[in-house]
Amino acid sequence: MNRFITLMLTNIVIAFLLSFSVCAQEISPESAIAVPAQEENKLWEDVKKTWRDDIQFHGFLSQGLFSTSGNNVYGQSKDSVSADSTEMGLNVSYQALNNLSFAVQGLYRRAGANTGDAGEVTLDFGFVDLNLLNLQEGRIGVRGGRIKNPWGLYNETRDVAFTHPTILLPLAYFERSRTLFLALDGGQLYADYNTSMGDFSFKFNYGWVNADDKELLLAIINDPTASGHLESDPSFVTQLSYEILGGEYVFALSYAELKMRYQAKNMGDPYAQMQADIDTFMVSGQYNGEYFSFTGEYSLQWNEFTDIRFGVPDNSPVSEHWYVQAGYRLLDNLQATLRYDSTVQNKNDRYGKGVEAATGGMVPGHLFYAQDIVFGLRWDITPSWMVRAEYHRMHGASNISLLDNPDLTQIAKDWNIYALQVAFRF
Amino acid sequence: MHVVKKVKLYEQNKWYRFLLNRYIQKNRLNSLFLCISLCLNAQALEASEVIVSTSVIGQLKGFHELRAIFTLRTLYWPNGEKIKVFVLPDNNAVHKKFVKEKLGMFPHQLRRTWNRMTYTGTGQPPVTVDSIAEMLDKVQHTDNAIGYIDRRVEDESIHYFNAH
Repeated sequence: MNRFITLMLTNIVIAFLLSFSVCAQEISPESAIAVPAQEENKLWEDVKKTWRDDIQFHGFLSQGLFSTSGNNVYGQSKDSVSADSTEMGLNVSYQALNNLSFAVQGLYRRAGANTGDAGEVTLDFGFVDLNLLNLQEGRIGVRGGRIKNPWGLYNETRDVAFTHPTILLPLAYFERSRTLFLALDGGQLYADYNTSMGDFSFKFNYGWVNADDKELLLAIINDPTASGHLESDPSFVTQLSYEILGGEYVFALSYAELKMRYQAKNMGDPYAQMQADIDTFMVSGQYNGEYFSFTGEYSLQWNEFTDIRFGVPDNSPVSEHWYVQAGYRLLDNLQATLRYDSTVQNKNDRYGKGVEAATGGMVPGHLFYAQDIVFGLRWDITPSWMVRAEYHRMHGASNISLLDNPDLTQIAKDWNIYALQVAFRF
Repeated sequence: MHVVKKVKLYEQNKWYRFLLNRYIQKNRLNSLFLCISLCLNAQALEASEVIVSTSVIGQLKGFHELRAIFTLRTLYWPNGEKIKVFVLPDNNAVHKKFVKEKLGMFPHQLRRTWNRMTYTGTGQPPVTVDSIAEMLDKVQHTDNAIGYIDRRVEDESIHYFNAH
C-alpha cells in the first residue's frame, strides 16, 4: 500500500515536472531558432508566466477550543479546556494544459489522542486530472491518485473549517470512520451535465481506502491488545448531485461499498480471518437562500463483520444517521445555526441494551447511540478570517473517541460540549 | 449657504432624520432635491457592469452563461480558450450587487461552490482582486478574462457585455 502511494506520488511529481517543459514549448515555439541568451530569457519569461497564470496556492488553518462535561472531545476537555484540535492545509494546483491539471494538498492535523499531541501530516489528496470531453452542456474526465470521496454534502472538505456548518460535523460524518471515508487511492470518473433545469454532477471513485485506523479497529473488535491492522480491499464510493439556480437547492445521493480485512502482524493472531464490509447510502437535501438555509441528510449503513475470531459470532449491525439543520443570516457575515442530530449504531438494538447485557455491563449501552442538539454562531470577520462558537447538548456517546476516553466505565450518557474556533483561509 | 451647512452636519452626525424633518417643515422643495441627489448617488455606487478582455469580445451570448462561468460550470470560451475569471472580495458592495443583479445568486452560494473546488483540488477558483482599479488592469492585460466593475467608464480599451 505504501509502495503504491510512493510510486503514484513519484509518477505525479515526474509528470508534473515534465509538463512544465511541454508547457514552455507550447507557449514559445520560436525559441528553438533564437540566440542562446534570448532563448534563456524567453524560457524564464514562460516559467514566470506559468507561475503567475497556471499555478494557484490555497490553504487553511483552524484552531479549536473544547470544554465538555462527562466525556473528552479532542483531548482532555472534560471539566477543563482542550486546545488539541488544529487543522492546517496547503494545496497547489497546476493547470498544465487545457485538459490536464494536477492538484495536491498536504494536511497537518492534531485531534486529541487520535493523532497524539504532535499531530500528524498526511497527503490529503494528490492526483492528475484528465478532461476527456468538454462541451457547453457538460464534461467528462478521469482523475488518478489520492482523491477525496464525495459523500454527502460535507465529506469532501471535512477538514476545512470554512466549509462546515458548525465546528463539529453532523454525527453522520462519523469521526471514528473519518480515515475510512476521507479519500481513496485509485481513480475517479467524473461527469457534469448542465441543463436549463439544473446541473447534474456524477463522481465514481474506485480504489483502496485507508482502513488503518486504531479507532475503527477498536470499535469493531473492542480489543486494544490486537496487534494487527485493517487493510482495504478494492472499494468504491459514488455520488450523484443535482443543483438548481447555482446552488439555491442542492440534492445528492451517495452510495459506497467499502471492503476491509484484518492483516495480522504475528502468527496465531486470533483475528487473522476477520473481514469487514460496509454498504451504505446517504440522501442529502439543502436550501441556501438569502437569509435562511435548511439542510437534511439521512444515511443507512449495512455493516457486516465476519469471522472476527473463534467463538465470536458474526455481527451485522445496521447503522442509521440523520439530521435536520436550519441556518439564519442575521447579517451578511453573521450566521446562526440550529441542528438536531441522531445516530444509532444498530437499528435492532437502538439503546445498546443487547451489547450491555452481553458484556455484563462492561460496555455501556449509550456508546451505541447519540442525539445532539446544536446551537452555533458564526462570524465571518473578513472573507479570510472566521470565528465561531457553539453549544451541544448530547444524549448518548457514540461519537466520542475511544482513544480520548479509554475508561469505558467513565463514559457519561448526558453531557455538554462548548466549543470555540478561529479559522483562516486563503 | 444654510442648506449646505445642514447637509454637512447630516454627513457628520448622521442625525439626518431629525434634520430632514425640520427641512420638510421648513422648505419642502429643497428637501426634495436633497432626497433625489442622495438616491442617485446610492444607485451609482451599487450598479455593476460585466467586462471582458479584447480576445473574447462577442463570445458571451447571454446572461444565462454568466452564471455558468462564475460557478465554474463552464470553463472554456466557445473558441476553446480557458476562461480567466476575476472577482472582488466576498464582502465588497460591488461584488454583492453583481452577484445578485447579474447572476441571480448570493455571494455565499458562490463561495460554497468555489470552496468545494478549491479544497478538493477539482478546480481553480476565480482570482480575487482588491479593487476596481486592479480589476480593470487584470481584465485588460490578461487574455480570455472576464470580470465586473461598478459603472460604465468611457474608455475605448474596456469592453462591456451588453446582452439583456
